[in-house]
This record gives sequence, structure tokens and C-alpha cells, in this order.
Amino acid sequence: MHILLIEDDSEAAAYLVTGLTESGHVVDHSADGEDGLHMALTGDYEVLIVDRMLPKRDGLSIIRMLRADGRSTPVLMLSAMGGVDDRVLGLRSGSDDYLVKPYAFSELLARLDALVRRDRTPEAQSHLKVADLELNLLTHGVVRSGKIIRLQPRELRLLEYLMRHVDQVVTRTMLLEHVWDFHFDPQTNVIDTQISRLRGKIDKDFDIPLLHTVRGMGYRLGESG
Amino acid sequence: MNLVKLLHTGAVRLSLRYALLYALLISVALGLLYWTTSNYVNDQIASSLDYEIKNFKKLEHARGHEALRKAIETRSHDAGENRAYFLLLSPAGERLAGNLRIWPSGFKADGKVRNVWIEDDPIAGREASPWTHDQDAYWSMIGLRMADGRRLLIAHSVRGAEDMQEYSFLMMAIILVGSIILALAMGLFLGRSVLRRINTISSIAAAIMDGDLNRRIPVTDRKDEFDELASRLNAMLDRINQLMTGLRQVSDNVAHDLRRPLSRLRNRLEVALLDPRGPEEYRDTIRETLNDANELLLTFNAMLEITQAEAGGYCGEKETFSLSGLAESMGELYRDQADTQGLNLLLNIEPCIMLAGNRHLISEALSNLLENAMKYTPPGGNIGLMLRYRQGGICLAVCDDGPGIPVNQRDKVLERFVRLDIARSTPGNGLGLSLVKAVADFHGAHLLLMDNHPGLRVEMLLPSSGKGSCGK
Repeated sequence: MHILLIEDDSEAAAYLVTGLTESGHVVDHSADGEDGLHMALTGDYEVLIVDRMLPKRDGLSIIRMLRADGRSTPVLMLSAMGGVDDRVLGLRSGSDDYLVKPYAFSELLARLDALVRRDRTPEAQSHLKVADLELNLLTHGVVRSGKIIRLQPRELRLLEYLMRHVDQVVTRTMLLEHVWDFHFDPQTNVIDTQISRLRGKIDKDFDIPLLHTVRGMGYRLGESG
Repeated sequence: MNLVKLLHTGAVRLSLRYALLYALLISVALGLLYWTTSNYVNDQIASSLDYEIKNFKKLEHARGHEALRKAIETRSHDAGENRAYFLLLSPAGERLAGNLRIWPSGFKADGKVRNVWIEDDPIAGREASPWTHDQDAYWSMIGLRMADGRRLLIAHSVRGAEDMQEYSFLMMAIILVGSIILALAMGLFLGRSVLRRINTISSIAAAIMDGDLNRRIPVTDRKDEFDELASRLNAMLDRINQLMTGLRQVSDNVAHDLRRPLSRLRNRLEVALLDPRGPEEYRDTIRETLNDANELLLTFNAMLEITQAEAGGYCGEKETFSLSGLAESMGELYRDQADTQGLNLLLNIEPCIMLAGNRHLISEALSNLLENAMKYTPPGGNIGLMLRYRQGGICLAVCDDGPGIPVNQRDKVLERFVRLDIARSTPGNGLGLSLVKAVADFHGAHLLLMDNHPGLRVEMLLPSSGKGSCGK
């Protein structure tokens, strides 16, 4: 995908450009706020990565100008300010996701992916389907190959999130944020335990596994292994 | 101590101002005194003149002209200062008796006392003036015209009274100057002593600024305001010193704690570079290095969280949320994890408890407590998560039946980077309980570490914001 990176730290920008390019993306880079805003307004990008503190014009202002111009390009904000207030302010200004430095590159990749692809599954959809796994959002019924699977409420939310991000890598932090609404780094592998319990219910009795572990990154729900 | 500096002290300025005011007051008071005494003296002279002339009038009335003339002659020969002077004139203006030479021109014989300025010596038959200095003076006089046309004059020099007034005026001036000098001297003395004590404080402050942080201001046993100031300043310095020691300890700990993973990381990279290796081996090295970097970042993040919670950086972010809901989902999140470790996680959560606070911080603190309990409780053990109203507040507790924390170390574990011997072999950064403490402080809660017989029981006693409705 076509990404615009607005980041003034040249070293961080260099490795982000390398990493993103190697992951198959096309990256344009701008090192200051004014230039970045100009590029965002004139270019055609699928997603923007914007550092919060920039020379000439800060990240929050770029997003505000962008939204005022009627552009809904998803924005991932990077910030060294990790307080809850900062996060809230960042999201309120119109950015779609907020990542606190230092972050893992895999986390950034997964979040970019989620941002770009989320539009494909509308919130109002009442029915999700991945291969032979089906989830009815109205009745909360889960069926795989005609067999009814009983899930607890939290497992349902976990499955729904994974199904909405089908074939995408979702990280543990993303799951903790979106399914449990917790913003902290667990020291233990609580999420893995939750995933393996869900896996026990949706994959155990079937030939083709759907819920995959992506080493060093997170999980992915999808047909292909 | 130079004079310029002394003149600039508050005490000297104040005393100068007071000396001036004092001088003004004394001048007014002395002037008033001067005025009243001179009036009094004049009144005395006037009434004695009046008395005298009335006596003569009575004498003449009773015993006739000759008797009056004789009496005046007799009185005129009486010597001595401050005596009265007399003149008796015939209707034609000839001197009949008395020791005055002439009747002052224009002076009316109407029986009223007047002060008259006389330039020549008015006294008859006298070669030299009884006063060595000038003859010009005020005279108090009274004149009386008899029925037959004779005139009687009695005069009294006010010279003596004036002398007394001059003398008292001199005394007043001496008193005035003396008191001003005294006030100034006291001001200087006061200024010097104040300045001396301030100089002590100031020189000690300079010494402390130069790095001698253990210097303190001497406190005398006078117990005055300077001593109070000195003890306050000393207490302040002690507190600052204490905080700085704490800070130094933390930075020492940070340096020590980060040196381990950093040197491990460095050594691994160094060894990896020694010999050519296969790609898989390099990948492993990089992966392990990444883990070390993650560990370092976790430590940094935890420190930042604590600092932010301590500094109240989340002040604007207090909302009312369901603490029961938070505890439920936290318990649910960790229950499977506990199961896989062979631990039994029991939830005892009163529903519908709302808290006005920071959900993010509370969840982080709670996850720290649960993870601690799971880390130190051996398999087969029990962990409890309890939430209920208690004594008008909210009690959030996590307990386990693990090894617990010895009584004498319960305060210590709340400090940053403190890890007890039992914890050294387990992963962690020694910041978990410090964060819990910071979160408790942020919410105005008491944090209690207690014995669970066996094990540890951590209670956070939060102030209640009243029972809310059972919302989300």
C-alpha cells in the first residue's frame, strides 16, 4: 500500500522506510509538518503515519487540517507521550490509532494493516463468515460446518474482532485494547491463554485450523496457514 | 561590615525613620511646654503687678498722699534683682518718688498690665546697668491715675523670665539632639546585629550552593524569629536532602538495573561477531537481543508510568467507571492463565461498585497485583480477588497463599527497583508494587500489605464516591 510517513527523527524514519518497503509497501517520507501536510493534501495515500511532535507544524494540527479538508485517510499517530490524556487527545483530534514510542515494528505493521482494511467490513454487518466459520452478530450464534459452538461473551468479542480482521495479523496489545479495553503491557501471556481456549473451541474438532499464531507478532484468523 | 551596606539594612532605615518622627514629636511637645511656661511666667508677673498697685491704692485711700509717697520711696530703695520699679508723678508730670526716670511715652495709666519695649535703661540714679549686656528689653508695666491727677507706674523687668525660657529652650535642644543620636545609635546597633545574623544565613546558603549540602544554619537559644526562620530553613534543607537521596538511590538503581540487560545484550552481539555463523544463528542472536531490548523498554515504560501517576499527570483523566466490571473482566482475563499454572483464582466481587478514578491506572495496578500473586504462588495454591464496600470506602484486595513478604520488608518492597531475595530468580523489574503504590496515592487510597496466613494480602482502600447505578 501507499504510505506517507511524517517523522522528523531521521534515523527512526530511515528504519521505518526500510522496514515498510521490505514488507511490500511504498513509502513517501517528509521530515517536517508543513511539508508533510502539503504532501498529504496533494498526494494519494492509503494511510498516514504521523509523529505527534514535528518541526513547523505538529501532528495534531496536520490531522485537523486534513480532516477539515474532508479527507478521511486513516492516520496512525506516533508519540513519545504515553499518558492516557495524550492518547485521548490524539484520538480526539481525528487520528484513528495511537502508538506510543517505543513500539515494536510488528505492532506498527499490524496496526497499519488493521487501519487500511477495516473499512471493508462495515460495523452494521450482522453476519461474519470466515471459511466455514460463521458468526451471527444478532443472535450471537457461532456455527462451524453446521456444528453449533458455544462461546462465552468475552470469547465472542474476541472471535468477532479476529473475524473482522480476517487474514490480518493482530497483536496481543491490539486484542487487549479492543477486546478488553486495557492499555497496559501484561508481563505474562494472558492473551495466549485466551487464544488457546478459543482455539480449543473453534479449531479442535475440525481438520483445517483457522486461528494461527504468527511468531513474534501475534495471531491471524484465516483459511491459509 | 561597611557603612553603606549598613545604611541599606531595613533596621537602620527603620530607625532613621523613627528618629525623624521622634524628633518631630519631641519638638512639638517641647514647643508646647515652652509656650505654656512662658505664658505662666508672664501671668505671674502681671498678677503681682496688679496686686502691688491695688495695695498702693488702698494705702493712699486709708492713709493719704504722703504715706503713699513714703511707701514708694521705701520700696524703691530695696535692692535686689527682680524687684519692682516705681514712679510717682505729680499732676504736672514731676517725679515725686520712685526709682524710674521717666514715664514711657504713650503708656496709658489705665490700670492694665502691658509689655513695653524700652530701649534705654529706665532706672534713675544708676551708673551702669545691673545687667552687663544690652539694656533693651521688654518690661511689664502697669500705670494708675489717681483722683487728684497724680500717676503711679510700677514696672517689672521680664529679663529673668526670658533667661529662664532661654535656659529651658537650651535644655530642650540638648534633649532633642541627644534623643536623635540615641535613636540612630540604637538603629545602627540593631541593624548590625540583624545584619550579622542574616550574613550568617546568607554565607551558609552560599556554602550549600557550592555543594556542601550538609551545612545547617546555627540556631541560638534565644528562640526569636531568626531562630524560627533558621529552624524552618534547616527543616527544608533536610527534606530536600532526603528527596535528593531518594532520587539518587533511584538513579543508582536504574543504572544498576539497566546495566545487566545492556551488558548481556552487548556481550551477545560481541560473541556473535567473533566468528562467521549461519543465518539461523544470527537470527537467534537478533531475536534474543530483541527480547533484551523489550525488557529494557518495559522497565522504562513502567518507570514513566510511575512518574506520571506520582506527578498527577492524569489529573484531567478521572471518570466514574464500574470498578466491579473492571475487576470481573480482569479476573476473567487471568483465570485461564491461573488454571494453566495450576492455580485457583477465586473472585469475590460485589456488583455495582462505581469509582471516580482512572480506569487505566487501576487496571494496570490490579494486573500487577495479580501477576505478582501468580508469579510467587506455587502450583496448587489459591489466589483471591476481592472487591467490596467496607467502612464507607471501597476495598480492593488481592491475596495469595504463597511465601508472603516478611513484616520488616513490607515498606521496602514499595520502593522502586527493590526485589527481595526470593524474587531475584524470577523475571521482573522491581517496579510493580511501586506502580501500585503510585496508583493508590493518585486515588487517595491506602495501600496495606498484610499477612494472609500464609501468603500475602494486598488491600487498596479507595475512597467511595457513593453507590452508583449498575451501568456498564
